[in-house]
Amino acid sequence: MNTLEVAERAAGHAGAGALALVTRERSLMLRFAASTPTQSTGIDDVTIEIAVPLRGNVGLAATNAVDDESLAHCAARARGAAEAAGATHDGSFPGFDPEYDAAVLEAFDSATAELDPALGGAALADAFAVAEAHGVEAHGIWTVAEQDQAWATGDGGGSEVRTDAFMKVICIAPNGRSGYASQSAIAVGALSPAALTEHAALKAAPSAAPVELPPGEYPVVFEPQAVGWLLDLLGATAFNGLAYAEGRGALVGRLRERITAPAINLSDSPTSVRTLPRSFDAEGSRKAPLPLIQDGVAHAVAHDIRSAALSGTVSTGHALTPGGDPGGPHPTNLVLAGGGARDEAELCSQVERGIYVTRLWYANVVRPKETLITAVTRDGTFLIEDGKVTRPLRDLRLTDSVLGILSHTRALTSEQKLTSDGEFYGRRFAYGVVCPALSADAVRFTGAAG
Amino acid sequence: MRDLLADLIESARARAGYADARFVHSRVERLSTRNGALDQIDSRESEGIGVRVRVGGAWGFAAVRGTDRRDAEAALTRALSIAEAQPAVPEATPLAPEPPAQGEWSNSVARDPFEVPLEEKLAILLAADAGLRTEPGVNLTLARFSAFQTDKIFASTEGALCEQRITECGGGMAAVAVDGESQIRSYPASHGGHVAQAGYEHFLALELPGHAPRVASEAVALLRAPACPPGRKTLILVGEQLGLQVHESVGHAVELDRVLGREASYAGTSFVPADGIGSLRFGSERVSVTADATNSGGLGSFHWDDEGVEGRPVPIVREGVLAGFLSSRETAAEIGLGRSGGCMRAEGFDRQPIVRMTNVNLEPGDAGSLEDLIADTGDGLLIETNRSWSIDNRRLHFQFEGEAAWEITRGERGRLLRNPSYAGVTPEFWGSCDAVCSADDWHLISLLDCGKGEPGQVMRVSHGTAPARFRDVEVGVA
Repeated sequence: MNTLEVAERAAGHAGAGALALVTRERSLMLRFAASTPTQSTGIDDVTIEIAVPLRGNVGLAATNAVDDESLAHCAARARGAAEAAGATHDGSFPGFDPEYDAAVLEAFDSATAELDPALGGAALADAFAVAEAHGVEAHGIWTVAEQDQAWATGDGGGSEVRTDAFMKVICIAPNGRSGYASQSAIAVGALSPAALTEHAALKAAPSAAPVELPPGEYPVVFEPQAVGWLLDLLGATAFNGLAYAEGRGALVGRLRERITAPAINLSDSPTSVRTLPRSFDAEGSRKAPLPLIQDGVAHAVAHDIRSAALSGTVSTGHALTPGGDPGGPHPTNLVLAGGGARDEAELCSQVERGIYVTRLWYANVVRPKETLITAVTRDGTFLIEDGKVTRPLRDLRLTDSVLGILSHTRALTSEQKLTSDGEFYGRRFAYGVVCPALSADAVRFTGAAG
Repeated sequence: MRDLLADLIESARARAGYADARFVHSRVERLSTRNGALDQIDSRESEGIGVRVRVGGAWGFAAVRGTDRRDAEAALTRALSIAEAQPAVPEATPLAPEPPAQGEWSNSVARDPFEVPLEEKLAILLAADAGLRTEPGVNLTLARFSAFQTDKIFASTEGALCEQRITECGGGMAAVAVDGESQIRSYPASHGGHVAQAGYEHFLALELPGHAPRVASEAVALLRAPACPPGRKTLILVGEQLGLQVHESVGHAVELDRVLGREASYAGTSFVPADGIGSLRFGSERVSVTADATNSGGLGSFHWDDEGVEGRPVPIVREGVLAGFLSSRETAAEIGLGRSGGCMRAEGFDRQPIVRMTNVNLEPGDAGSLEDLIADTGDGLLIETNRSWSIDNRRLHFQFEGEAAWEITRGERGRLLRNPSYAGVTPEFWGSCDAVCSADDWHLISLLDCGKGEPGQVMRVSHGTAPARFRDVEVGVA
């Protein structure tokens, strides 16, 4: 299937001003639990979204059929929707204005695109062997995908083929302690199943009974996986251009003000090969680096065409849906600059008594304007005493402001990591956060977990 | 399509110990307004075939769009190759026996929501939106309509061949007020409002425009309301907040795949042991919970689940003691249950069925109406409509926050409080339940976005509850 050809046909059926976005997913995922394969899923599907702007309203329709009759029917539904909206009122959507000369990215790996189940089977076997050697069980997923995406209007279009590979391993020891490791990449060859399992197994290994800490404020060293969660939530609450335009965003009235510690430099870097790069968004707008926080000062929020129009500016290339997602635009390639610390051990060396967090889980926004979130620690939480990780800790519930944590940031490691949770709801959209480990002086914990 | 699935299954019979195939055609329509203008008008349609095979003990699943015979056969070949490529699975448990599903079924629909003109639906949303904007101080108004229609045909190597059509419809609205902090009020619920397995008549019955002024007024009032003070209080939970409490701390905790450790890498495990039926105390004697796939209007209702098991009521908790699990044919057999609970559901043709909730309901008690319960309470808090939720991976320690709370003083509803958070530990919390209102106050609420599985699947479920009271709960924690 040539997705650009499908997009051009779809746009042709929709008429002048319309935009078609075609996303084909070919993916394979193998799951495992207790060192045994459990579920496996192979997907070959395509989504064609047709957006028709009319009198400032956008009608949107989607199908997964590529024949002309189906595309014409889909286009008619989109146009009918726009006409129905136009019959009641005029909207403010200014129209699509895509870039026809998007950057060429190195986001494809042919070996990954083969979706070879034998590679996955071998990865699982490696993980099971390492787990057995450590006396733990391995749980997790191995997954690879190819995403072929194209957009078109009546005047032309663009396309891009990307691949992504992801593996995570949670090792669970007989005493119930668990450890986590994951890896995300463009190429499946970059995944190291045995090394990941080794890392996770060592985290699960300590046999000492976990210590409990009462609720309160503690210094914390967050591994990159946990930092990635925090930054992703910040993307949704602070850098969402629609929330900003509607006066409910966390950065309303705070752009060009200091909002974090000076050590924080955060950007959206969609063309960086260290992320999972993409050159255009769901509206065909070209993606480009966007500085969000520089030396602790807030600089920008992410926009799609709709939120940009509400703010009197232009799209920054962050549309998730043609015509604007109801949830607003969202950064998809966050990069937090590293600092001067050699590694997590050096971050711990500055902590007299604190908490070492491998990852956060079930994070949810409590009050978005305050960037207040709650989450639990999981799969590798330890006590830091006199500058060293000493004992396993019982998991805890964190409830704090993400901007507050970044304001209390003391140091960052120089090394960054591409973190991802490998969550693939709906049509696969692989994305991650590149970030270092981070230490913060005071983080609020409100209870126990696990 | 029936012939194609039958042929696929025949082809699979010689190559796999078990196989099933599902054709799914999905239609979705979402309309929403935002600050008096169109927010979203989205119409989606997809169809395809998913083939699941079991070779030895290993499962393979492959899905392909469309209805092309060659593509469907390729999906079967792919599913087999995926299953065969995995490390060997020792000692595969036979699936729990099930009579082959045969027949057709669809839920009751008075008016097909997809046949109603868009202009008519938009007019109601815009009227609701206008009503929300009558209150000065409201920054953002939202009104939404949703409709789903799913046609499914299922066939298996055990002789099943059945067909279902499920139609769901509903909506809701919200007002957001901002003044330093932001406050939201939703009606009839957050999380997309209230959707039911029904036709357009359900959306009309919500009467969104009529409720809009009150919703907007409460959003603004919350900005000025005192914050919920920290402490230990008697709590009355109602509607969606109680439904979500059931969902997170009971429903997910009794999913047998979690209990058996199969979801440890994502959704988590459970504090509930696999051998806990009849012995694990889950709550007080007031607490009885049933998973019922036969509730009229419930989003967890069907005639057959997605591996062909007939839906039925399954006791989960009886008078506070664990009585059963949400299960599949594989997991039920593993712990020696005679039959699957019929809880296998898949989001669409390109996802395989996994253990999900049906309608997991808190059975009504004998505490009368909500007014009776308030009058009987003395001092406490009433929390309504969920705003934030989080629970640990064993479904033990949770922390929730509602949109609004009302103080209860000497048996009367008093002042409005903002940011009402509370936290607890599942069996202790349900153990503190000392009253559940009667059947007249029992209603289904809906949750449209229950996430589980890898790759992720979003499922729509309902929960039936009547207002319930909990003693000595920690509040004001966030």
